[in-house]
Amino acid sequence: MTDTKPITFRIRRYDPDVDTIPHWEEHKLNVPDGMTVLEALHEIKAEQAPTLAWRSSCRMGVCGSCGMFINHLPMLACQTQVLHLETDVVTIAPLPNYDNVKDLVPNLEPLIQKHAAIKPFIILSNSKEIDEPTGEFIQTPEQRDEYSQFTFCIKCGLCLAACPTVATDPLFLGPQALAQAYRYTIDNRDCGLQERLEALDAFHGPYQCHMAGACSQACPKGVDPAFGIQLLKRTLVLDSIGFGKKRSSVAKVMPLADIVKQIEEFAPPPRTV
Amino acid sequence: MRETRLWSLHILVIPVIAILLGMHFAVQHYAPVFYGMSVEKARDFATMIERGKSTAQFVVYILLLAAGLYHGLYGTRGIIRELPLSPAMVKVVDWGILTVGVLIFALGTYVTWWTFVHPGV
Repeated sequence: MTDTKPITFRIRRYDPDVDTIPHWEEHKLNVPDGMTVLEALHEIKAEQAPTLAWRSSCRMGVCGSCGMFINHLPMLACQTQVLHLETDVVTIAPLPNYDNVKDLVPNLEPLIQKHAAIKPFIILSNSKEIDEPTGEFIQTPEQRDEYSQFTFCIKCGLCLAACPTVATDPLFLGPQALAQAYRYTIDNRDCGLQERLEALDAFHGPYQCHMAGACSQACPKGVDPAFGIQLLKRTLVLDSIGFGKKRSSVAKVMPLADIVKQIEEFAPPPRTV
Repeated sequence: MRETRLWSLHILVIPVIAILLGMHFAVQHYAPVFYGMSVEKARDFATMIERGKSTAQFVVYILLLAAGLYHGLYGTRGIIRELPLSPAMVKVVDWGILTVGVLIFALGTYVTWWTFVHPGV
């Protein structure tokens, strides 16, 4: 039998159909070593609070659904072990800087809108190449390394919950969208910086970042969006003075025939036995 | 001018302010160290008027005025515009800040010019 520790969970409850303001509920649970906050919530829901609502899916820090304000810090409930918090009382609230839909469910619509505003996809000047590709884009490992860490973003929204600028300026694009803007802008296959400028080269763009770094501390995937914002600033400044990497068109499309030739050229020798 | 250029300029003026403010401090506050003159003498009206006739002094103070005003007012605009403002109010803030900047610059330039052309005490 695993040793357990009694933990009190203070959970912020809010049902817009019943409550006018949120209130706190306490639930006690014997927590074994290794139990995550998400597992604890499941147990509380099963045994004590059947109407408790939250979002979750993968239980393994991949889907980004279970972001919550745990002991006053934004964390993924599935990645946070209760006993690792080292407190007898664990407070759980919905993510701040978002509207509260119900109990622990935040309204992540602003996150999605801001993400969409920066056009988070590869933009080619030759749109025909998207519909009818004539080959593959060349990208060296070094070119991929330039944006690799920013692809780890799972859109959990913890960074926006941690950001002090978003707290005071809801129109600020926020670390998630800005880091993704850098991720696509710096991609050597992308020609879309000019199209993104409407959102980026504006007051509520990267220059509103106060450089608190809270987003990078909160990020469960090590994306370091604060660093991404600084790199984005550099990219925009260089572009504004004409020193940016000019990508009016992606010319580096390798014809399919050449790719086949290369594959044959670097293929291992035929088996002898 | 879009935000990137406005922001870049506010960063670029930082070293300008540091250098020119250093020169201002050397003249006004550290005169005993750099010029062998007492602070009281350095701040004396007659000395200031005399110093104001120098073209270098005129250029330094106009530049310091412009750089300091731009840096300070850009920061002020940033603080005010973080408030939840309507689009109309945003325009009022932007134009208001610009107007205040132009007026203070005009006043500062007038004073510096007045000193520059003053016949002396």
